[in-house]
Amino acid sequence: MAQGTVKDAVNDVPSLRAVFVTAMPDCLLYDSWVRPEESWQAEDAASYFGDLVRANREGLRALKSWSAEMQVTIESADVLMIVRELRGDFVVTLAFQRDVPLGMVRLHAKRVMERLDQLLPTLEAQQRPRAVKITEFLEKYAPDPHAALHRVALRTGIPLGTLRKPESLETTQVALLEASVCDILGLESLSL
Amino acid sequence: MSSLRRYLPEHDLMYFGPSPAVYHCHHFNLFLDQTIDDALGFEAGSRLRFLAGREFASPLLSGAAELNGLTTPAEKLELASKLFAGMGHGRLQISADAKGGDVKGSYLHYGYSWSQKYGQIVKRKQPADAFGAGFAAAASEVALGLAPESMGAHETECVAMKAPGCTFQLKPGDRGLRLPPVGEGEVQKQITPSFNGLYEEVIQPITKGLRDFTAPVAGDERGLVQAFGVFVTLHLAGYYNRISYEAVQQVEKKAPQSVGVLEDLLRESGHVCVFNTFGGILLSPEWEGMVGALTGEPLPIITGCMAIARALGFGRWTIAEFDPGKKLVVRAPCSYESVFYRSRYGKAPRPNEYFLQGACLAIAQLAHRVDWKAKPMLTQDYYNALFRGGPLPWKVEQVKSTACGHPISEVVVTRVEGARA
Repeated sequence: MAQGTVKDAVNDVPSLRAVFVTAMPDCLLYDSWVRPEESWQAEDAASYFGDLVRANREGLRALKSWSAEMQVTIESADVLMIVRELRGDFVVTLAFQRDVPLGMVRLHAKRVMERLDQLLPTLEAQQRPRAVKITEFLEKYAPDPHAALHRVALRTGIPLGTLRKPESLETTQVALLEASVCDILGLESLSL
Repeated sequence: MSSLRRYLPEHDLMYFGPSPAVYHCHHFNLFLDQTIDDALGFEAGSRLRFLAGREFASPLLSGAAELNGLTTPAEKLELASKLFAGMGHGRLQISADAKGGDVKGSYLHYGYSWSQKYGQIVKRKQPADAFGAGFAAAASEVALGLAPESMGAHETECVAMKAPGCTFQLKPGDRGLRLPPVGEGEVQKQITPSFNGLYEEVIQPITKGLRDFTAPVAGDERGLVQAFGVFVTLHLAGYYNRISYEAVQQVEKKAPQSVGVLEDLLRESGHVCVFNTFGGILLSPEWEGMVGALTGEPLPIITGCMAIARALGFGRWTIAEFDPGKKLVVRAPCSYESVFYRSRYGKAPRPNEYFLQGACLAIAQLAHRVDWKAKPMLTQDYYNALFRGGPLPWKVEQVKSTACGHPISEVVVTRVEGARA
């Protein structure tokens, strides 16, 4: 980040456990801050929040209720989270202690989002190869992720070494890759 | 049940009735079936799994019916259902005559355990119980006095596809090739003189204790065996071997560039098995009661795993060399894989005891990379943490195999220089 950091933007927010900034549309971790006593790995979590907002957006569109001003609130057993899209470039996730009143969380979230809106740059739309996105999606959601690429290689006949460089796959190979990933995950199509 | 189970004590191979048999968990079973379907496609994969189930259930069922002096179809079908449940495969209710019939299944091992393991994260589009279909077809052939390999079976509903139960239709046809049998007599011809390895004074008493412990184990009211955190089956070794080796042969013909990947995945099924089943046994209170608390040292894990492998009927796995942190050499006079291969196909062109290879790799890793004293939960997340994220710190090579005509099978697992911890 050019000026300041995510940490600067949240250092006066009490009860905040972590912030994850996910770059869209590729759902890659852009920046984060995690309280030192937490054992969370930002890389493990950030991309899922991008997928969550994307799925939420599609759901709201299906209901004809989509609005850019939407945010997702998650109340789990031990964490209270706000997930919000920022300018289409980012998804920001704030994780608070569970016992903080929801109204207070929303107030803090609004302030932090305003600061981050000033702080975060506008991203150049990056056209990453579809095969790269498909492979990342597979490794994120496959039931046996350690074996997922081997399974694709076996199903498609594409050598494992080639699959490990998805950016170099040919068009027909990308189609084979996508079909096999859909089969492995039991999906009709991939929302990427 | 226990009266049908016999061991070949010098070689630690197991028979169930006249059929070579082993114990395996649902993690192994599901991963292996999945690999076969990945290799051949679902249609060809499930057909091979059905054919293998039917082929190897047939001698078991006819032998058991003869042993019990059964004569009527109803008695024989009832025995088949009891055996299936006793082996931990769930409940089958078979209604058949020479024109075909219907089968209802509940808690079938493959479909049910698939829904338990994967049902929340993957939508399955095809049924999972080809082994159950093969078993039901063989049961109807034996009960009705039909020719072997003459009854077909098709699973029309499956719990893995979120149906309330599993159903099958039986229909005459779907003839498979009559392949030479691989039963007790054929196995006996393939075994070579047995031998001992290091630490036998530790391994052999544990093996005996585990066998005594597992002797009375049979399916519960669901027809499932749930123990050590896994669903366990007493399974027909021929089923595993036929589907594995025929898949390799078919891929060699159609897509030779994919053989290496298939072999990797076959090894991985052994890896998955050791992590879940061996790990579950090692962490169990029963193990602590029988062997003692885990010390955190690698050697007791290695010796313990050799004993577990023997008790499960995998063969006399022995420790030929163990240099902690550096090297493990496992030797066996034969394995449930090699005796099958030699009997059915002759000499193998290269060492191909895939389960033995994957299992030994996993044993070395579990011995060195798991904090046993902390009693970790053997979850998928833990598995991913250990085995994802770059090359593994250990590698495996099978340098000798009785399937190739060597006098012994030998697997060498070594630490990779400069690898992560």
